[in-house]
Amino acid sequence: MSKVVLKGVEKVYPNGFKAVHGIDLEIKDGEFMVLVGPSGCAKSTTLRMVAGLEEISGGTISIDDKVVNDIPPKDRGIAMVFQNYALYPHMTVYENMGFSLKMKKKSKNIIDEKVREAAKILDIEDLLDRKPKELSGGQRQRVAVGRAIVRDPKVFLFDEPLSNLDAKLRVHMRVQLSQLHQRLKSTMIYVTHDQVEAMTMGDRICVMNLGKIMQVDTPLNVYQYPANKFVAGFIGSPPMNFMEGEVIETNNNIQIKIKEVKLKLPLDKAKNLKDHIGKKVWFGIRPEDITIGNSDGENTMKGKVKVIEFMGNEAFVYSQIGNEELISKVDFLGAKDLKNGSECFFSINMDKCHIFDYDSEKNISLGLKIKGEFNV
Amino acid sequence: MEGEKKSKKGTLILTIFLAIIFLLPFYIVLTNSFKTQKGIFLNVTGLPFGQFFTLENYVNAFKELDFVRSFFNSLLITVVSTVLIVIFSSMAAWMLVRTKSKLSSFLYFLFAAAMLIPFQSVMLPLINLMGRIGFLNRGGLIFMYIGFGASLSIMLYHGFIKSIPVELEEAATIDGCNKFQIFWYIIFPMLKPITVTVSILNAMWIWNDFLLPQLVINRPESHTIPLKMFYFFGQHSKQWHLALAGLVIGMIPIIIFYILAQKHIIKGVTKGSIK
Repeated sequence: MSKVVLKGVEKVYPNGFKAVHGIDLEIKDGEFMVLVGPSGCAKSTTLRMVAGLEEISGGTISIDDKVVNDIPPKDRGIAMVFQNYALYPHMTVYENMGFSLKMKKKSKNIIDEKVREAAKILDIEDLLDRKPKELSGGQRQRVAVGRAIVRDPKVFLFDEPLSNLDAKLRVHMRVQLSQLHQRLKSTMIYVTHDQVEAMTMGDRICVMNLGKIMQVDTPLNVYQYPANKFVAGFIGSPPMNFMEGEVIETNNNIQIKIKEVKLKLPLDKAKNLKDHIGKKVWFGIRPEDITIGNSDGENTMKGKVKVIEFMGNEAFVYSQIGNEELISKVDFLGAKDLKNGSECFFSINMDKCHIFDYDSEKNISLGLKIKGEFNV
Repeated sequence: MEGEKKSKKGTLILTIFLAIIFLLPFYIVLTNSFKTQKGIFLNVTGLPFGQFFTLENYVNAFKELDFVRSFFNSLLITVVSTVLIVIFSSMAAWMLVRTKSKLSSFLYFLFAAAMLIPFQSVMLPLINLMGRIGFLNRGGLIFMYIGFGASLSIMLYHGFIKSIPVELEEAATIDGCNKFQIFWYIIFPMLKPITVTVSILNAMWIWNDFLLPQLVINRPESHTIPLKMFYFFGQHSKQWHLALAGLVIGMIPIIIFYILAQKHIIKGVTKGSIK
């Protein structure tokens, strides 16, 4: 059992700045939890508080049902992989990996056994005698992970470990870390600002912003059922389109009115919006839920194509609808005949749309579909 | 192309000129140390050949200097002072860098300001005070050297430590190190290039220093090499031949130390610790 529980955790700096606003989070035993959010959202601070590198101003952090607020980092049963690797430059890979065991006064045989075992897992056995400066970025990263494995921790903490690697190596290491998790079955907390890493690696992801948790759920649920406008806009690339609108009722049909266009909501969404008739809302639709055509129809908006970005098998089409910009993702064939400046009709898949409260920005179209914990 | 060639030539000429200026005193000292007193006065710039060549100067200077004892005194004072300066300065600089407070900034500027105070202005009150508390001779001298050497050393360490990523210390904390272990196992080994620089600067200054030992050491058996050298210059006669031979003997250890130490000034020792 190595469950990590954060209860009302706060971080206030001496200058009065409140970085973390009383967050609650439970990370299950063996779970790969990804903390994701933009720069300055306090995801690293949260991780550092779990590690014990940052003092906790309020609340409690427990590892294995034991409150660790006042326990020094070395006794928390954690291991951390830093963004910049933090390998000791004057030590060899072997010494780097065995250093924590040396500090624990373990025998040379045990150190040797553990280091070689970790080196075998990460395929770095032939690098053990080298110094960090003789290694490539990817190798250094593996050594940093190896150093964590050797500690045999209850919880692995990763602080943006792949952000210094080039794109190709990052994909490779992403797969390696996922495999490592499957192999070790340890609890892992992984901080990243890269939503692709979050979506592909996490059992669950915790989206953070401004020191608060926005949503905690599986990657698919976060994508399909974003709890609020921030999560909807942060997860997904290109991001979700947002337009200001108003909930109206015409002939017993609940619709969204955006400028002069009226979009008819499907029944399941419409029933959730009954209390919002006449109110301003944010209308959100993902780029892949828009199709571009030449003819007008239901739930269609007219606009002008501004820029087309071809990505190989698909294309991103940036268009202007009134004053609003709309991004659509279409397959290569669908975009081939489009031209910059041409007028088109953008058909919205209303089953996939999201409606957010104008002030609180909570997703009001989902009803009970949001299963994860979240607070705004 | 033409301009570049000219500039390279100019640099070369300037380098040779400066090298001659700097090496000339060594030439004078070395060549004249092998001449008799008369030989020195007859031709100071010539090579030591012929009737004026002698090795006696070295034998006599060795005896007159009481070389073994004075060498031991110089070595003891230099090594102990330098080691203590290195230890205290590196520790102090590390704490000054890692502690972000007004007090640490104030202390840092205090150390920097201390470098501006001329030694001569504090020399007499200091000796007076140290004499009153009975803390003179070798112990007092070492203590004073730590005080005088700390400012520059702390400045040098401070600049270097700032470039060491704090994540290394955090990694060491997680690995189970306390503050002292972090310093000795992680930080101090990484300071090797600057430690060599600090050691060279301090060791050379302390080894060659004359004024402070002259004021502080009042027991003849504790005299250092530069103090003993003073005996070659009497009121009525100056024994240049012995003084120059003594100078050569005196500078050999520090030159050997410099040659050995400068090999260890490795650039970019932190390379590889972080991206």
